[in-house]
Amino acid sequence: MNILEISHVSKSFGSNKVIHDLSFSVPEHAVFGFIGKNGAGKTTTMKMTLGLLKADVGDIFVNGEQVTFGQNHTNRFIGYLPDVPEFYGFMTPMEYLRLCGEITGMPAAQIKKKSAELLELVGLKEAKKRIRSFSRGMKQRLGIAQALLNSPRLLICDEPTSALDPLGRKEILDILHSVKEHTTVLFSTHILSDVERICDRIAFLHEGSIALKGTLEEIRTMRRSENIVVEFLKPEDAAWFVGLCEGSVQTQTMLVTVCDSNGNAMHKVMQILLQNKISVARIERLEPTLEDLFLEVTGT
Amino acid sequence: MRQLLAFMRKELLEQFRTGKLVLLLICFSLFGIMNPAIAKLTPWMMEMMSQQLAESGMQITAVEVDALTSWSQYFKNMPMALIIFLLLFSGIFTTEYQKGTLINVVTKGMKRGRIFASKMVVMLAVWTLGCLICYGITFAYNAYFWDNSVAHHVFFAAVCFYLFGMWLISVLGMASVFCNSSGTVMLALGAAFGVSYLLGLFPVLKEYVPSYLLQSAGMLIGNEEAASYLPAVFVAMALFATESIISVLVFNKKNL
Repeated sequence: MNILEISHVSKSFGSNKVIHDLSFSVPEHAVFGFIGKNGAGKTTTMKMTLGLLKADVGDIFVNGEQVTFGQNHTNRFIGYLPDVPEFYGFMTPMEYLRLCGEITGMPAAQIKKKSAELLELVGLKEAKKRIRSFSRGMKQRLGIAQALLNSPRLLICDEPTSALDPLGRKEILDILHSVKEHTTVLFSTHILSDVERICDRIAFLHEGSIALKGTLEEIRTMRRSENIVVEFLKPEDAAWFVGLCEGSVQTQTMLVTVCDSNGNAMHKVMQILLQNKISVARIERLEPTLEDLFLEVTGT
Repeated sequence: MRQLLAFMRKELLEQFRTGKLVLLLICFSLFGIMNPAIAKLTPWMMEMMSQQLAESGMQITAVEVDALTSWSQYFKNMPMALIIFLLLFSGIFTTEYQKGTLINVVTKGMKRGRIFASKMVVMLAVWTLGCLICYGITFAYNAYFWDNSVAHHVFFAAVCFYLFGMWLISVLGMASVFCNSSGTVMLALGAAFGVSYLLGLFPVLKEYVPSYLLQSAGMLIGNEEAASYLPAVFVAMALFATESIISVLVFNKKNL
């Protein structure tokens, strides 16, 4: 079952069309990476899902119920971490979580138990001071704790790792990965290594519509590279090989790239190497990185 | 109900920890003490100045002060207290919009109407408490020094002013739903008062505008009937109700 379904949604701010006929769905228990450069419309899509912005056309369904702008009932299924989370500075983390728990209607005992657990999970157990004095990273952690408080079916995180140091990033990603069993995670980012680390599904958002989507594997296969790279041990071998193999280019002294346009280049390369008794350091089919895909998709 | 209580507790905690609540209560108490104090000090001040005044040819006979002097001070000072109150609360919604703190609350499933209601209830509670403190202190001192019975309809006149404050609180709420900065909220409050005042200049409308309630001190000396203020009381209450309802409806669709 799909926890989130976005169907033919468009949104403009004045004459600026931000989202254009956007459709995608997020199945349950996925970690869904929502990728796009700054200003691609990621935050806008998330805010429409939360009923914080009104979609001009199209429908959004969370857990099968339609999202309405303003007073939105489907928010009870969702935990949300905004890109720059802001909390009441005059409260302590424990007090803030209590307020959140009471708003969602959790029983008092459960609020206490869950708050303590979550503050430990995000590493704020010892932080008893008021939120006002928190650093951005600490606020981000508290943001995750409050988003997970009511065990939401769908956790929406808007660039959760962009303000954090490498260690903090790893911890946040680990947390997101660990909640996967109970919660579907939708998170937006432009840090591609984060996506490769924890996502199982991704969608590239470009100029307000989905440019590419699928599981990480699917996308990798879809865009399997047509290039084979051969690294030689001696420069003269490389030069010799280029003379023998059609469609090959010497990119560095030891490296030759062969274009595999009809799918049999690998055999051809091996055959040439075998016949001429050339030893090589490695032969490799180039895997496209997400970065290549991202650049290809965004046309930059 | 639990949402409402939780959010009201948050509001009160905020007013307390940011020092606004204490500041306001001190203000109301000071005004309460000032009213009888000024009345009590008037003869003494006149005596101090009588020498000077006599030299310039003015003769001062014994100055009589009573509870009425103190009560008229009350109605002169309360508008100042109301202005301080409105200034301190003008950002009760707008600071939350600017910081984005309501987004978290709303995405947790908080009913928007309840956010509005909690803030209104807390403002009304502080206003009520402030008025009671100021009235209580003035009343007690007056009873101790003089006799409260010389002033007519004191309680009703104070209630009239209290209702005027309530009306402005609902204007503050409605302005906060439409505006995003506390400055514009204050401007809207000024404009609302201005409109009421200007309409009150027409003799036909005079008794029906909320700002008419500001003249309720006229009842004290006994030459005005309390009933003449009833239309303005009803108008103020009706406006309070309508403005609150409109505010909730608009707030439900507001971009936070």
